[in-house]
Amino acid sequence: MTPRVATVVGSVLLIALALVLPALVGALWLNRVAQFMTYGILGVAMAIAWGYAGILNLGQGLYFGIGAYMLAMSLKLAAPGSLEGGTPMPIPDFMLWNAAPGAPQDLCCITPGSFLWIPFQREWFGVLMGLVVPAVVALGIGYTMFRARVSGVYVAIITLALALLARLVLINAQPVTNGFNGLTSLSFFTVGGIEFNPYQPRTYYLVVLVLALSLVLAQWLVSSRAGLILQAIRDDENRTRYLGYNVASYQVFFFVVSAVLAGAAGMLYVVTAQFASPTFLDVAFSLSMVVWAAVGGRNSVIGAALGAIGLSVLSSAASETPALLNAWQLLLGAIFIVAVLFLPRGLAGAFNDLLRRRAGPDAREDVVPALPASGARPTMTGP
Amino acid sequence: MAEIIFIGLSLASILLLVALGLAITYGAMGVINMAHGELVMLGAYTAVLAIRYLHVPFVLCMPLAFLVSGAIGYATERLLVRHLYGRLIDTLLATWGLSYILIQLVRVDFGLAFLGINIPGLGPGLQYVPIPAYLTQPVMIGGFHFQIYRSFIILVALLLLLLTWWLIFRTSYGMQLRAVSANRNMAACCGINDRRVNAWTFAYGSGLAGVAGVLLAGLQTVDPDMGTHLVIDGFLVVVVGGVGSILGAIASSAVLGEINGLVALWWNDTVARAAVFALVIAIIIVRPRGLFALQGR
Amino acid sequence: MDSVLAVQGLTVEFSGFKAVDGLDLDVAKGEIRVVIGANGAGKTTLMDAISGKAPASQGRILFNSADITNWPEHRIARAGVGRKFQIPSIFKNLSVRQNYRVALSQEPGVLRNVFRRPRDTARIAEVLDLVGLAGSADEPAGNLSHGQTQWMELGMVLVQDPALILLDEPTAGMTVAETSRTADIINRLHGRHTLLVVEHDMAFVRSICRTITVMHMGRKLAEGPVEEIEHDPAVREAYLGSGGIGHA
Repeated sequence: MTPRVATVVGSVLLIALALVLPALVGALWLNRVAQFMTYGILGVAMAIAWGYAGILNLGQGLYFGIGAYMLAMSLKLAAPGSLEGGTPMPIPDFMLWNAAPGAPQDLCCITPGSFLWIPFQREWFGVLMGLVVPAVVALGIGYTMFRARVSGVYVAIITLALALLARLVLINAQPVTNGFNGLTSLSFFTVGGIEFNPYQPRTYYLVVLVLALSLVLAQWLVSSRAGLILQAIRDDENRTRYLGYNVASYQVFFFVVSAVLAGAAGMLYVVTAQFASPTFLDVAFSLSMVVWAAVGGRNSVIGAALGAIGLSVLSSAASETPALLNAWQLLLGAIFIVAVLFLPRGLAGAFNDLLRRRAGPDAREDVVPALPASGARPTMTGP
Repeated sequence: MAEIIFIGLSLASILLLVALGLAITYGAMGVINMAHGELVMLGAYTAVLAIRYLHVPFVLCMPLAFLVSGAIGYATERLLVRHLYGRLIDTLLATWGLSYILIQLVRVDFGLAFLGINIPGLGPGLQYVPIPAYLTQPVMIGGFHFQIYRSFIILVALLLLLLTWWLIFRTSYGMQLRAVSANRNMAACCGINDRRVNAWTFAYGSGLAGVAGVLLAGLQTVDPDMGTHLVIDGFLVVVVGGVGSILGAIASSAVLGEINGLVALWWNDTVARAAVFALVIAIIIVRPRGLFALQGR
Repeated sequence: MDSVLAVQGLTVEFSGFKAVDGLDLDVAKGEIRVVIGANGAGKTTLMDAISGKAPASQGRILFNSADITNWPEHRIARAGVGRKFQIPSIFKNLSVRQNYRVALSQEPGVLRNVFRRPRDTARIAEVLDLVGLAGSADEPAGNLSHGQTQWMELGMVLVQDPALILLDEPTAGMTVAETSRTADIINRLHGRHTLLVVEHDMAFVRSICRTITVMHMGRKLAEGPVEEIEHDPAVREAYLGSGGIGHA
């Protein structure tokens, strides 16, 4: 069995498992698993950015959060609660509470900045923005950083600071975003009349579908010629530049793809968990994405996804009691350190290495190889 | 006006205390210690426990915390960091894993909570450190309210700065440190025990964190999570100041601290922090080597 | 004359110091020309100037009659000048074959390459054979020995089929056996490609070329067939050392 075969077999098994799961567990667990699967998409995003492009994004939560809030805004306006104030157009409840007395009961100006919500009355707009805004932000910050040839560590810091900055802005803009409380009491996600109740199997299948699509897309991208060049850039940026490639354009492209995937994950999370909160932009959350990718295997799209899902399932199981949770966190810290020290390609990488070794020792030549016999090919000598 | 400067200075001195140790380990050793915030936190807890159980006077908690955090730093270097030289991002990640562990250890009373034992002074809750009375009385000088405790912090920061400067530039250890940070292999070839220099340097930087922890304990409540945002702030200071430059760390903590104070005065703390983040991002992009970068690293 | 590379009065100056001082050089098509000289004679700077890494303060560089003086590096590379550096820099985590696929950078745009699969070409197979790495084509490049890495990197330059190849000390760090293999490889290149080689190893130099250019302190000291150069008193004094090859 080669690594490639293992990937295919593993993926098939996984999909099979994913498809039969609704028959095995109750609605509550199904919903939870769906949430973890959105984390799986985050794992895919991390694999692309970190594993293949070599960009350590310590603030991936930013794009997750943006995607989440974009859709949440639409779902909030669509919620029945937003019309309870007796207003002609839907207005989020927190705006009504925050409004200055005598403020017009209109989305355009009930609170400072509330006009930003106006286009979100159409649900498709929220979905669109959930993909477009992360892309635009990533494009902006990526272009600025990579054009300036900012190096690895500084990219990590900048992405971290950016996520923290966004979090503070989000919290501070209480009249527009409901600050710390986030957006709750959302309506169900509805497409073409089909309502996606978070506890129904169809919502679960929606997430499975998007996860599968992102796995396929990511795998297709990294095995393309562009993906190969991306890995060359990760190995030696200058050498690649010297071969004539515009390194920054590759980095920006994959950075944006990673951000869009994270945005999609954020939207799906809102669909399944029914809330959006500034905690999505916490350092801890972004860091846990790094841990998932490090343990699962950042160089493997499926490995990172499984790492994300697996570790989240374990964390969730561990949070049954506080003592268990603490023990789990301790263990996780230790596992992370072990992965960084000894398993640079994560569990997936270690597994692949095992498979390669079992495939038999390579007939590697350590001696100087003999050149072909004297009859040199006609193309080699001159005219 | 004087009040604005004073508050800015006070914030700057706290930043500097935290950042100094980070600057030393990053600049001299090329190691990013994300557990640095937890070393501060442990210094604070040292004060909590020492005052509670050993009745150590507040001021003496500082050298005590220096030793405690320093020892933990020493152990960290020998057990973990030593395997990661030359792998900058890996040091960032591995020490972050360590910080998880340290936070959780405090949460579970170092394992005793699993056995059902709870030690007052540890655990997930908030702790307080009482400051001696002579440090809390406000003093009036020229119509301006001096908060003695904050002035005390500024004083300690300056003293530690002087101590660090003396160590690095006036002792043989410091010379060895500078040699190792300039060119490790050559220094080793010249007979300098570079591993020992590294271990002691890491210990010193960690010790400084411990002292910062004691001082912070007098300003805010102590809890296991207090270190997380400190290390990020400290790290931003170091990067803006320029890797390897203590002068840079001083300058950037002064600048960032002052700006934080100013913006907080006009708007609020949240906006102030956001402004500092935005400024840092801009500086790194425009001047990636920082304000006072040293050549050669 | 069918000259592929013509350097005319080239001067490269760094803060007042002339690394290359008024140098003239002509390399004919298909020739293998070796440049020798003591350390600091300006050989690598000459290569830097030709490949666009160092700016020329005076003089011209003509490549196939086109004036490429001070063109940006990637433009010179695209025009058909390939350079192999002294210190091999390859993509260690990619296989040899993948290294070559990356080196084929005819279409560098990211969006186009997203829609393309990495593919082998006949050229890659040719080069793999030439440098003797066909058997290790799928090995991670970082696993190769030093000599193999040098050949591999030479291959990366060859894969792009450049008309002019600049080789900077191709046998640095090689064993005697590896050096002789390298000579074999290079000898099979001339004719189709033109080579300019900087070297120190005289035995190697003798085995690959006919004409040597000797540089000394940024200038051309002598030029001519190998035997002539070896016996030239000025060259011996400047470079080989008067106590060198047994001359009074």
